[in-house]
Amino acid sequence: MSLIDLTSMAEPDEEEQEKIEETLEGLKEDIPDLCYQCGKCTSGCEAFILLELEPHSIMGKSKAGFIDELVNSDEIWTCMQCFKCQERCPQDLSPVRVIFALKNLAVAAGKEIPSGYQKMLQSVLGNGLIQQPKEVLNRANETRKREDLDLPPVPEPEDMDKVQQILMKATQEKLR
Amino acid sequence: MKELGLYLGCVIPTEQYGYEMSIREVLPKFDIELVDLEESTCCGAPLRNVNMFTTMYLSARNMALCEKKGIDLYAPCPICHLGLTEAKESLEENPELKDKINSKLEEEDLQYEGSTELYHTLDLLHDEIGLDEIEDQVEEPLDDLTFAAHYGCNTIRPNDLDRPDDSENPQKLEELMETIGIGTEDYPEKLDCCGGQVISDHNESALTKAGEKIEAVQDQGFDGLSTICPWGHRMLDSKQDSAADTIGESLDLPVMYYIQLLGVAMGIEQSRLGLELNLSPVDNLEAIESIEEAE
Amino acid sequence: MSGIGVFICHCGSNIAGTVDVDELTEYASDLNGVTFATNYKYMCSDPGQELIKDSVEEQDLDSVVVAACSPRMHEETFQAVVEDAGLNPYRFQMANIREQCSWVHSDDMEKATEKAKHLVEMSVEKSRLSEDLEKTEVDVNSDALVIGGGIAGIQSALDLADQGKKVYLVEREPSIGGKMAQLDKTFPTLDCSSCILTPKMTDVARNPNIELLTYSEVEEVDGSVGDFEVKVKKKATYVDWDKCTACGDCAEACRRSGNVEDEFNEGLDNRGAIYTPFPQAVPAAYTIDSEVCISLEYDGTCTSCREVCELDAIDLDDEDEIVELNVGSIIVATGYDLMDPEKIYEYGYGKSKDIITNLELERIIDASGPTDGEIHRLSDGEDVESVTFILCVGSRDEELQSYCCRIGCMGALKHVHLLRDHLDEDVDINICYTDIRSFGKGYEEFYRRTRDLDVNFVRGRPSEVNVQEEKVELNVFDTTMDKLLQVESDLVVLVPALLPSEGTEELSRQLRITRSSDGFLQEAHPKLRPMDTFTNGIFIAGCCQGPKDIPDSVSQASGAAAKASTILSKDKLQSEATIASIDDDICSGCKMCISVCPYDAIEYNEEDEVAEITDVLCMGCGSCASLCPTGAIEHKGFKDEMLEAMIDAGLTEEEG
Repeated sequence: MSLIDLTSMAEPDEEEQEKIEETLEGLKEDIPDLCYQCGKCTSGCEAFILLELEPHSIMGKSKAGFIDELVNSDEIWTCMQCFKCQERCPQDLSPVRVIFALKNLAVAAGKEIPSGYQKMLQSVLGNGLIQQPKEVLNRANETRKREDLDLPPVPEPEDMDKVQQILMKATQEKLR
Repeated sequence: MKELGLYLGCVIPTEQYGYEMSIREVLPKFDIELVDLEESTCCGAPLRNVNMFTTMYLSARNMALCEKKGIDLYAPCPICHLGLTEAKESLEENPELKDKINSKLEEEDLQYEGSTELYHTLDLLHDEIGLDEIEDQVEEPLDDLTFAAHYGCNTIRPNDLDRPDDSENPQKLEELMETIGIGTEDYPEKLDCCGGQVISDHNESALTKAGEKIEAVQDQGFDGLSTICPWGHRMLDSKQDSAADTIGESLDLPVMYYIQLLGVAMGIEQSRLGLELNLSPVDNLEAIESIEEAE
Repeated sequence: MSGIGVFICHCGSNIAGTVDVDELTEYASDLNGVTFATNYKYMCSDPGQELIKDSVEEQDLDSVVVAACSPRMHEETFQAVVEDAGLNPYRFQMANIREQCSWVHSDDMEKATEKAKHLVEMSVEKSRLSEDLEKTEVDVNSDALVIGGGIAGIQSALDLADQGKKVYLVEREPSIGGKMAQLDKTFPTLDCSSCILTPKMTDVARNPNIELLTYSEVEEVDGSVGDFEVKVKKKATYVDWDKCTACGDCAEACRRSGNVEDEFNEGLDNRGAIYTPFPQAVPAAYTIDSEVCISLEYDGTCTSCREVCELDAIDLDDEDEIVELNVGSIIVATGYDLMDPEKIYEYGYGKSKDIITNLELERIIDASGPTDGEIHRLSDGEDVESVTFILCVGSRDEELQSYCCRIGCMGALKHVHLLRDHLDEDVDINICYTDIRSFGKGYEEFYRRTRDLDVNFVRGRPSEVNVQEEKVELNVFDTTMDKLLQVESDLVVLVPALLPSEGTEELSRQLRITRSSDGFLQEAHPKLRPMDTFTNGIFIAGCCQGPKDIPDSVSQASGAAAKASTILSKDKLQSEATIASIDDDICSGCKMCISVCPYDAIEYNEEDEVAEITDVLCMGCGSCASLCPTGAIEHKGFKDEMLEAMIDAGLTEEEG
């Protein structure tokens, strides 16, 4: 490698870079290499103003191979998944999917992931849904449950243990 | 009578009861029989962030459940609809992945073929049932109202996957509103995100996004906002008060699921549409009964 | 005893470094029919050519095989040598042992030499069956047709006319001038566009060698190089141009005056049904737009224009006319159109009058344009305080046009100069750019001068443009500063991609010339034959071949004229000798050959129920010969038995 990031002394990591493509296998061609850094993604990024997400810079760093920095960053967890960056990319690239891949890499590397995602994952593994049915309030501040509203029970696999086992194994798999 | 597997996903059956109630109430009136998918789980889309394979697996599993019944699938949540669409299109293009997923589904005696058609509320109403059919069933057109449309990001994007409407200039929701008498027009923030996907880890930012969108709609003089996405509705209606607190503005914009509005226009008993659960001040609208009236 | 001579070239070390040329020579000398074989350092050099010539005589050779580079390189060279030596040039064969052997097998001398032996043997086998072929000759019509009257077409026409050639210049609009006539100034010199264009337009009108056919379109093209037959439709103008003096009384009288969108002004103002596109139009005459004229399109009752025309030039009974032309060569210069910026919906074109294209801005800045050069907001006429350009709108875009428009950056820099001249100095000018491409002569210097004009160069691309109550608003992330900037503008100028002009596809079919994947007309070689097409005698110039600025268009136009002239200056042209021929006795009349011939060279003879080839049209591509199910078609110089013998030779296992 001929490049070094002098602020962190990090060097590009081609192996990690290839993992982005591997993670996205079967989806769109999302390789960041073709990005010409016009910045249209960041101009329209829903998460930039509040959470400082810069999709173009994620594309730039992915392209150069500074993957470790991204995988360890909080930035990748701020994406609102609105898909505007992909929709408007003049080069038909998908920053949002590259960000998904980076998050997958972070999880696979055992990095600590934000608690919300952690909870969601545990809930799906536990009972199949991202959350349990809630008691909600109506406008008069009275509580309402599904059964109060004549709604049938929430769907649930008959053999949740089995689904759980399959899912546990699935989370170790890649698309390729 | 068209039979559809009702795939509710996570957010609708665990808290967005108003959407589910109005769906169950309104659609049968259009000759649609909703068949519950008892064994279904999360569509997997939220787990894209964690592991793409699990996402695909869960999507395929839910579609396989529907295939087993030999019917098409209706996903009222755009995030589920996108997740399922992505899995459907990816597995079609990638037979190896399909095999890999099928080998896991086998453990539950399931098999994914890819034969299930997918519907979301928007295309189901607009394209499948059709505006004429809807117009025929309108009893009390909501002529005095002007509403803004909130599509939800995943309803229209990304357009490399089959979405219910155009990614930059969606108009189906507007046309559906006009069909039941509601006036509408485009506004600059129409395609903006509600922030819903980051609510669990970036609460304040998410509420700010929602608050800013509500404020923009309110400032432009709309009577209300119509939604077709449970995540968007949760942010713009259920959490409107918190959003107001977060941005320090007073917000009082009535937010209703389109299908609730449709139910009202069809003259369906309003308590059957879960309108009491809309936390935004929907009873500011003349056509909507207050909770006391509903009782 | 006469026989075949084999001449093996070392090409310095290009061949000899990989192929054992001595071994190859020895091998060749033993081949069937070969009576002489030798090798030499550079066979294409003068001594090399002499060696071949002398050997033909001394060794009494009747055929020659040269084993050297690709025939694309030197086939013609050696054919001439053989002809000089008194043989028919088609008694020469070339074995490519460089590109197809030594260059690609430089790592294995032994095997490369074996392959070279096969290649030489194949050529020798073909040579054994070769026969004398004759080229046919066709007369050349020395007139030319130029299609398109923009700056490129004008330049080509003038150049040819100056060489004494008769030129027909066909333009579909009522006036020549093209896009350049719509421009106010040109970069990087800031010359007034019409000041440099108008003299050329009047030169065209005055030149006795140029016959101008405006408001006309090519309908049909037949024939081939030296003798094209072209039908041109002269659309009815309903005005006798010999009488019309362009006084303009008719336009004032027209009842539709001010009601028809003015194309020349990009729809920013209106004209009437009878109009001239712009004051300096050539020819200086009026035309009635029949689609909007009350008399012609509606009830036939209005006679306003006729009543005021003192010269009695109006003729409402005028009809379209087909003009038949015979020309030796054709130059296509049909230019470009701007991409409709509504294709990038998020940029809001059409949602506000204040979101415009660069060509609309050009008309607004022009002193004789729709606003007389006054720049105000188009929505409400208010003062302009801020102008923002967005470059690359649909260019360099994988969903729209993947190529660079090549004039957008420089055009915007030019507009900065013009806006600074026209507007208060405190007006903000912003340019959202991705890369500023200032590659031409004097362009980078111009860019530097522009930077000194207090411009905000924002290095980034907006995601969307929103029309707010007062202003047009956009957010753009500047990647040099890492800042998201909110920009409020009174005018947003979109710089759209360039497309081949409307009708290019149809014209390419009529002319039987190809288009590249971007839709522009395709040159025969991107570097060495940039104005040729694959169809002999048809040349391309200007933006029809790809986006270009004015200097490049003019250069290419002069080049195309020079190329056309090399044909037009000859009395006769020789056609290919290696063409297809049909044996009437075998042909079953199935017509399959007709369907595959890309040059329309085969016709069906109803009487004899056989296919017939027009020799001068045949380009010798071989499609028909390889397809013919009965074997009735023979490709001269590539007969089936020749190819079979070559294949046999190529597949022979080496001995031992």
